[in-house]
Amino acid sequence: MQGALIADRIQFAFTIMFHYLFPIGTMGLGPFIAFYTVKGIRTRDEQAIAIARFWAKIFTINFAIGVVTGIPMEFQFGTNWAAFSARSGSVVGQTLGMEGVYAFFLESIFLGVFLYGRQRVSRGFYAFSAVAVWFGSWLSGFFIVTTNAWMQHPVGYALAKDGTIELRSIGAVLLSPFAWWQYAHVMTGALLTGAFVVAGVGAYYLLARRQTAFGERLVRAGVIVGICASLIAVFPTGDRNSADVTRDQPVKLAAMEGLFKTTQGAPLAILGMPDTQHESLIDPLYVPDVLSFLAYGNFRANVKGLSSYPKDVRPPVELTYYAYHVMVGLGTIFVGIMALSVLLLWLRRLTRARWMLWALMLAMPFPYIANEAGWMVTEVGRQPWIVYGLMRTAQAPSPTVAGGETIFTTIGFAGMYFLLGVIFILLTLREIGLGPEHEEALAPAPGVA
Amino acid sequence: MNVAAFLLLAAMLTAYVMLDGYDLGVGAIHLLIMRTDRERAASFTAINPFWNGNEVFLIATGAMLFAMFPRAYAAAFSGFYLPFIIVLWLLMVRGMSIELRGHFQSDLWRGFWDVAFCLSSALLAFILGVAIGNVVRGVPLDSAGYFQGTFGFLLNGYALAVGALALLALAMHGAAFLWMRVEEDLRPRMQRAARMLLPIVVLLFVGVSVATVSMHPVANGAAWIAPLVAIGALVSIWFARSGVIAIAGSSLFLFALMACVALTLFPDLLPAYPSGAGLTIYNSAPNAYSVGTAFTAAIIGFGAALVYGTVAALRMLRA
Repeated sequence: MQGALIADRIQFAFTIMFHYLFPIGTMGLGPFIAFYTVKGIRTRDEQAIAIARFWAKIFTINFAIGVVTGIPMEFQFGTNWAAFSARSGSVVGQTLGMEGVYAFFLESIFLGVFLYGRQRVSRGFYAFSAVAVWFGSWLSGFFIVTTNAWMQHPVGYALAKDGTIELRSIGAVLLSPFAWWQYAHVMTGALLTGAFVVAGVGAYYLLARRQTAFGERLVRAGVIVGICASLIAVFPTGDRNSADVTRDQPVKLAAMEGLFKTTQGAPLAILGMPDTQHESLIDPLYVPDVLSFLAYGNFRANVKGLSSYPKDVRPPVELTYYAYHVMVGLGTIFVGIMALSVLLLWLRRLTRARWMLWALMLAMPFPYIANEAGWMVTEVGRQPWIVYGLMRTAQAPSPTVAGGETIFTTIGFAGMYFLLGVIFILLTLREIGLGPEHEEALAPAPGVA
Repeated sequence: MNVAAFLLLAAMLTAYVMLDGYDLGVGAIHLLIMRTDRERAASFTAINPFWNGNEVFLIATGAMLFAMFPRAYAAAFSGFYLPFIIVLWLLMVRGMSIELRGHFQSDLWRGFWDVAFCLSSALLAFILGVAIGNVVRGVPLDSAGYFQGTFGFLLNGYALAVGALALLALAMHGAAFLWMRVEEDLRPRMQRAARMLLPIVVLLFVGVSVATVSMHPVANGAAWIAPLVAIGALVSIWFARSGVIAIAGSSLFLFALMACVALTLFPDLLPAYPSGAGLTIYNSAPNAYSVGTAFTAAIIGFGAALVYGTVAALRMLRA
């Protein structure tokens, strides 16, 4: 079944990474839409309403593609990972089921109200629907992260005689200490992306000298949220999430940092390429003792290296190491870009600093890369386990599905997702081209809504 | 508790068939019944605010099956591997067609998505029927409780007949829904379509029922109520004078049809073919706490969704 295992992993990795681009968009833009709607309704600010409706259109495109690419994720647990599902469905099925009945209904019903109900419902209920859509998207994220956190650090279960994992406490699963910082970090990552997209589109309007009134507002909002989110992504959420990894998955930490030998006063590798054959970093750039401090709060602390773990519990080092360094490197650059932008905003020079606006516009794709890289650290670093310490990934695939079948369907998904990607870009660029002014022109006279 | 969980799952799947059933049906007859661009746009206007919420029932049913009966979920999804992946692709094409058709004013663009919408809807209705047919007929489970559902096995006469029944019953359901939703001038056409489909649905239903009973002798005498209700509901469609009555009749028919499926299966979730021990609501469930938790979560979630869904719908309709 080796061939099937590889094919299943490639399919899951490809479909989840493509899928996740769209929930980042909905979770990242949801708060902006809710904020502008509530503000617009409270202060009768038609411009804010137009901004909210403009982002809602882009949200809707993200939502639709997120839904159609999300269904395959849930199906795959059964189709490709039947042995995993049969053994751990008692826990994993709970949180995924809750996402369905709590988050999906909330999100889809209130998105319907928000999109089709502006002329039909009261102003208060209209504002409420925007907040409910935001809440629904973050609730959906909560159930997904608790599912993943359980696979990282299983709690609230017991093993039956035949090895089946049985749920013993749903409270322990939902309130898992591992889940909370992970959730906070994931949501911060989404909000950061939303902020970069809002600021980036605003920067485009200013650079193109169109819809500049909107552009200024978008840049200001994006930059202010962006500096907060980029700082929170580093501390406390990123830092605390790493602390959980250090405590519960020390071998993943060693792979992330490329630390092969157990070291007292371990250095932090800023750069360097892992050489797993000789168990060392090639051309490393070290900051002495800092890894010990970050992991244990003590510059002389002992950090266990990869070589002190048996080979069959070590994750793939290269992917984990690079994904982690890409995420942290980009995270640091985000703080820099946003800090500089906020400084210029405070000096009232940001809208005239075209070089900064260019940087903001071109920065838009990078938070997506950082989010994806972060999940790669989480997931690749968990290997060789599918449920940490309990079940190996190699034991998880469906016994009756051959590798050849999965390769066939992966090719099908690739074609389908290429089409979806082209359509997404086409529709999003079209909405950005029309812009919020188009929305304002469509807006009814005050008092009608 | 396992019986209650079975009933809840059956209710969720029935809700899915009744709700998403009408928008699948609208799609299945779209090209045949709607001729001009304006008429075809009316198909989409009729289902636009609802179809996404309806589809959530399919996702929620799958997820709840996962939580309550993981072994049956694992065996069914991996055993029906390729058909289920094809269902996914069709759901994607269909979702795209509904979301995208209105974005550009171009005959080519719209014509393309009209065809995609119609074909994907019809195929989905048919494949879901074939799947239900095979679940009722049973699958060749091995000793570990898994099977490999090749097309050679799945495309048998019985399952194909259930597929045809599903396609035509949902087409009729869709016609009844349009009869209620479209403007005055189009309504007689919808009524004619529903009445044209009706006799074929009756024939297929009787035929499939006879075949089912000869496979699974029904022990409980009270179970005969379900097919009788189904026939009664079909008769009411014939005499319906308004779309509301027709959609009520066809909803009742689908409800009775799903009740027939549930009564035939119980307590199996996935019977073995041609004979042997199947996956039941007892041997595919984990510990009682787990089933109880999923059941409670689902009841609270549906209760809440029902409340705010009704509030939202009432506020939307108040204008």
